[in-house]
Amino acid sequence: MVPTLIGMTLLLFVLVRMAPGLTTGGGETGEMAKQAREAMEQRMKERLHLDKPLPEQYGLWLWDSVRGNLGTSIQYNESVWALIKERAPVTIVMNLISTFIVYLIAIPGGMLASVRRGKTFDVVWSFVTLALFSLPIIWVGDLLLAYLGNTHYLGWFPVAGSHATNTEWMTSVEYACDFLWHMVLPVTALTLGGFAYLSKLQRAAILDNLGLDYVRTARAKGNSGRVVMLRHVFRNSLLPMITASAGIIPSLLGGSVVVERIFSIKGMGDLLVTATTARDLPIVQGVALIGGVISLICLLITDIAYALADPRVSYE
Amino acid sequence: MSELQPLARGDVVGPEAALPPAKQEGGGENREGRQTFWAVVGRAYWRGLLNRIATGWVVLILLLTVVVPFLANDAPYTAVMKHFPVDAAGNPLPPVWVREWPLFRDLTRVDWIWLAWGGVAVGYGLLRWTLRTGRGGRGGLSAEEEERRRYRHWMGTGILLAAGIVASIGIAVGKHEYLDSRDYHQLVRQQGNEAEMRDAVFPPLRWGYAQQEPLEAAKLFMEPGGDHLLGTDGNGRDVLARLLWGARVVLEIGFVSEIISLVIGAFYGAMMGYFVGKVDLLGMRFVEIVEAVPLLFLLITVVAVFGRQLFMIMVIIGATGWTGIARFVRAEFLRIRQMDYVAAAKAMGLPLRNILFRHMLPNGLTPVIVSVTFGVAGNIVSESILSFLGIGVEPPTASWGAMLADAGDPGVVFRWWLALAPGLMIFLTVFAYNIIGEGLRDAIDPRLNKIE
Repeated sequence: MVPTLIGMTLLLFVLVRMAPGLTTGGGETGEMAKQAREAMEQRMKERLHLDKPLPEQYGLWLWDSVRGNLGTSIQYNESVWALIKERAPVTIVMNLISTFIVYLIAIPGGMLASVRRGKTFDVVWSFVTLALFSLPIIWVGDLLLAYLGNTHYLGWFPVAGSHATNTEWMTSVEYACDFLWHMVLPVTALTLGGFAYLSKLQRAAILDNLGLDYVRTARAKGNSGRVVMLRHVFRNSLLPMITASAGIIPSLLGGSVVVERIFSIKGMGDLLVTATTARDLPIVQGVALIGGVISLICLLITDIAYALADPRVSYE
Repeated sequence: MSELQPLARGDVVGPEAALPPAKQEGGGENREGRQTFWAVVGRAYWRGLLNRIATGWVVLILLLTVVVPFLANDAPYTAVMKHFPVDAAGNPLPPVWVREWPLFRDLTRVDWIWLAWGGVAVGYGLLRWTLRTGRGGRGGLSAEEEERRRYRHWMGTGILLAAGIVASIGIAVGKHEYLDSRDYHQLVRQQGNEAEMRDAVFPPLRWGYAQQEPLEAAKLFMEPGGDHLLGTDGNGRDVLARLLWGARVVLEIGFVSEIISLVIGAFYGAMMGYFVGKVDLLGMRFVEIVEAVPLLFLLITVVAVFGRQLFMIMVIIGATGWTGIARFVRAEFLRIRQMDYVAAAKAMGLPLRNILFRHMLPNGLTPVIVSVTFGVAGNIVSESILSFLGIGVEPPTASWGAMLADAGDPGVVFRWWLALAPGLMIFLTVFAYNIIGEGLRDAIDPRLNKIE
């Protein structure tokens, strides 16, 4: 966990240090201008610790990051940490809702597919989820926005942002409803691709369990198929689903970059893309780091949840 | 989400990854005589209708990539052009008519390389055709015949591959000039005394990917119909032509990136799987680190650092997508290193590189082919997302993702002809690759499907 975190910071540090040099403008040829530029370069280098040896630079950057100082954005001249703190909540909430919905649909789908294995439902479900998985999110986002959001077509949902403009006069309940209302299209776009993997996993987990001895025992005791399925097999088949969440959250985070872009939601992904086009490397580095940390936190929660759910697992 | 490959990754994590591919499945097929593993897999794969359709689509896209300069191009195949020669003193001489081949002259290096590899593919098809047995399978061949057949097959393939590589290098290094600023649409319109071109034979679609209509409001964002079957975009370029040309970028990035991923992943995984212990432990930590950063975040970071030329994008996508393959190969190697033939190779004192790459790797790569197929799909999605966000391939290169972005903000003005077609192409291509991946996995490891 901690080594992974340190390795990740090292990776990002090395990556960003490989960027072509820092430029502070130029063009003026006069002696004064040259001196001024050199002085500015010197100040800039000191500010970014570029005058120190690389390992020390890394140590300083790491120490700053731990204290919550991720540097200063070049384009906004604001603290990167403040920018991320402002943008992260929308992204995280959007991803949590999406994860919840993906599980809510994938688990029953996978169960039904395993019960009806080889029959029509199984075949159709696996085909449909694979098709949904293959749908490019940039396309789905555009089409949802156009046909359901654009007032020239159906115009049912808001087309941009994560909340209405007049939030000051709203009660908290109203605000929540408004937020959810704005989230319908983005979350739909984000969830569609997630079903295939999870429901296939659920199906496989149930099928694995069906062949085990305890199922035969449960049947032999005279339980109905439904009881065996819901009370025994289903519970045991949930274990792989817990592990799977560790893999699905980074991919959802990645997907939210696109969704935020399409639906003009001011989240972390949007911050990352604007920073990339402006070559604002402190922001890029900061957002990638925070994204990685969020993934690692999810991984940790997954591990703990797994140990709680399955007493046989211990991390001694 | 689709830009990751959770299907491929999920498999590695599960316990199935450590199991051998089911090479001995289907006892009934043994009656037909000796069969190679790939013959069995191929037959199982080819049985599925969806698999066949998906393969067909992929072949179609590949074919399109090779021939697209001859399908959608603003230059004619051939035309008789009016030239205005001057004598040594610079005085104009009477004009002469010369037959020219503008389209062929203007083919770029990339076009020629694609053509060369298209030729290699055709050559391989011919080779297989000459080696056909006509008896379905190799059952009726004597050992000697089969040996000769196998020798010819490998020799032919080797020669073809070598020819392709030599041709590519030659094309890439050789001198090549192409700069044609003539507006053939304008030339066609000049009639009578003004005419400077006659007997022109045009490709079916008379627009290239970068050819623009004159920049007038009436010619931009034209709805489908008339001259432009799928309309024009904001720069007055033909959408259909760009759609066809877009297949090329998509496939280039999909394949080249995946080859890079495969090389890195196979080497890395082989190292981890063979030298278990500390190497494995440290190696896996690094894989986890790379996987912990969300793929798109990582991609965007690397693009921000290294820029966005086409080749750079390929390397970036390839260099970030190898972890799944590395896990696969590692799991395979962990299994294989216990096998007798490896022990025998060691006992015979073979050098390490031979044990690793001549004996173990060919056996360990089988399940990776599934991962590679899903990987190509993932790369296509990654490329389209990067281009969509405006940080992918540089304009005016046609890419389906960039074309989607050209449609503008669908919440305000939705130009359906710009959004529907490119998105559909991405979807169909990615879907085809995913279907092929699933089909291959079921064929290689039927155990997954046979639990009843």
